[in-house]
Amino acid sequence: MSARPGRAPSGATVVLALLGCLGAPAGAAAARSARDILDHVDDLFRGRSSHGRAAMTVTTAHWTRTLALEFWTEGKEKSLIRILAPQKEKDTATLKVGNDLWNFLPKVKRTIKLPSSMLSASWMGSHFTNDDLVKDSRMAEDYDFEITFEGERDGRGVIEVTCHPKPEAAVEWGKVVVLVRAADLLPLAVTYHDEDMRLARTMTYADVRRLGGRDLPTVMTVVPADAPAESTRVVWEAIEFDLALAGDTFSLRALER
Amino acid sequence: MLLRFAWRNLWRNGRRTAITLGTVALATAVLIVAGALMRGMMVGALANATNLGVGEVQAHGAGYLVDRSFYTTVRAPEAALAAAGALGAGAAPRSYGFGLVAHEARSAGALFWGVDPARERTAFDLARHVWHGTFLGDEPAGGVVLGKKLAHTLGVEVGSELVVVVQAADGSLGNELFTVTGVLEAVGETNDRSAAIVHRDDFEALFVSGGRVHEIAVNGRGRVPLDVLEARIAAAVPDADVRTWRELLPVLADMLALFDAAMWIFSGIFMVAAGLGVMNTMLMATFERIRELGVQKALGATPLRVAGDVAAESVLLAVVGSVVGTAVGVALSVWLGRHGIDTSRLGGDLSFGGVAFDPVWRAVLVPRELVGPIVGMWVASVAAALYPAALVARLDPVRAMQHV
Repeated sequence: MSARPGRAPSGATVVLALLGCLGAPAGAAAARSARDILDHVDDLFRGRSSHGRAAMTVTTAHWTRTLALEFWTEGKEKSLIRILAPQKEKDTATLKVGNDLWNFLPKVKRTIKLPSSMLSASWMGSHFTNDDLVKDSRMAEDYDFEITFEGERDGRGVIEVTCHPKPEAAVEWGKVVVLVRAADLLPLAVTYHDEDMRLARTMTYADVRRLGGRDLPTVMTVVPADAPAESTRVVWEAIEFDLALAGDTFSLRALER
Repeated sequence: MLLRFAWRNLWRNGRRTAITLGTVALATAVLIVAGALMRGMMVGALANATNLGVGEVQAHGAGYLVDRSFYTTVRAPEAALAAAGALGAGAAPRSYGFGLVAHEARSAGALFWGVDPARERTAFDLARHVWHGTFLGDEPAGGVVLGKKLAHTLGVEVGSELVVVVQAADGSLGNELFTVTGVLEAVGETNDRSAAIVHRDDFEALFVSGGRVHEIAVNGRGRVPLDVLEARIAAAVPDADVRTWRELLPVLADMLALFDAAMWIFSGIFMVAAGLGVMNTMLMATFERIRELGVQKALGATPLRVAGDVAAESVLLAVVGSVVGTAVGVALSVWLGRHGIDTSRLGGDLSFGGVAFDPVWRAVLVPRELVGPIVGMWVASVAAALYPAALVARLDPVRAMQHV
């Protein structure tokens, strides 16, 4: 859990992409206002609840590892991520309820609550921070936005929306640029710039497939700008939306199960 | 001959001589003890800082001090340890890694030290600054020694169980249970807040560290000249970044330089004050004898003879007084060096610039620093006696004899 300074996010996209959250199901998105585009990206992985599996591959200068994950979410407040493999981390789980995070450590059979001082530290060695898991917000609410490009780029019809944080918004980015496919408004890339307008990280989306009854980009890759050779890549393998979850799914007892 | 007369003359008025002698001796002793105490404060501050854990010289992998990367290591730690050993200096290898520690509902970030307890014990004093409990044993046993504030944050005491989570060197999640074996005294803000010290083998298992060593701390306890120590360590680990305490503790280095300058100024003021005291006594003693000196002149003594007598007497007084004073001052300084002055009742934990001061203030006597007080007292005594003697020598005997 080494600290990864400079990557503290407000990253709605990260959280939602990883966990899913409450919101309207993705609409047809006929109208193409900037707000529609942002809402569509925000809501892509959202449902009343969700359950699925993903593989997270982390590449750093010193090692590469892949974790198999299973996750459950309910609303925007609750989520549970359990590691299925490799053996060393098997059954390690992270529970998020509101702004609190707990980690269950099966090796020592203990659950620890994450102190706020560790929010900017890496989650399970990835390029996501614990804060990425906790924070949830909607881009359309926290940012002022406008369409800054619409047309062909690399032979594809794309729309680019540039977002600047509202003065009162508690976000750490200086600028967020969202690039979507013009045809279906599915995200291609989101770039995050820090308060000095330097590129901080780039998230790219690829491999659109049908999962959980929706067309979703099933591969998301985040690359930190200060270490372009490193990356964290999440591949969604299965996801189902709006399922009924047991009432105690997001309890500390369930975390330790 | 002259000195024998002088000695006899001195005891014609035993009380006056005793007072003068006492003044010279007292001033000399006070100067010596004050100097030793000031020197002791400086030496103590430095020794506290270096002996505690920093050491006099440290070696790191190049660039480690900038980003503290887990992967920047000292490549040949054994060579540095051997080089220190060959000079008779202590040395300890250390590995560092960040992690999360938790106890029941409380948790905090911590900096783990992987140490060789036996080497830490011989080379440094940290193991002796344990407030509660004990330092780590020589064998790995899943024990951890915590900084005072970190222990307080976690609400743990000796025997408490600690859950530890770290990101290991291979990217995996390291987690273990540790038992708190000790809590350190206040040893400086950073360590108080973050230090979690474990046996190097436990560190290895937790961080899958592959024997990585991030720091070699070398401590000669002042027995090996700093430049020699630095040069030998640098030669032993040529690709490492070797630094002395002056660079590692710049605040302390600046503070000591300032303190040294202040000490010279204070010594000067003390010297002038003590010198004036001795001068005053000498002047009074000589003026008291103006009639006697007038009689000597009337009996045919030359001015030079009169001045010579007085000078000889004052030299004798200064020598005997300073010898007595030196003996008393040295004895007192040695005693204060051994027993010290306990200042803990005057205030709480004293720390400045991240350096904790020992509450027991000890004197340190440096032989060459005895020269100042002794020579100063001689000059003051003789000068003070010669001035009135010279006046008298030129005086008309009749007027001198009538002098009241």
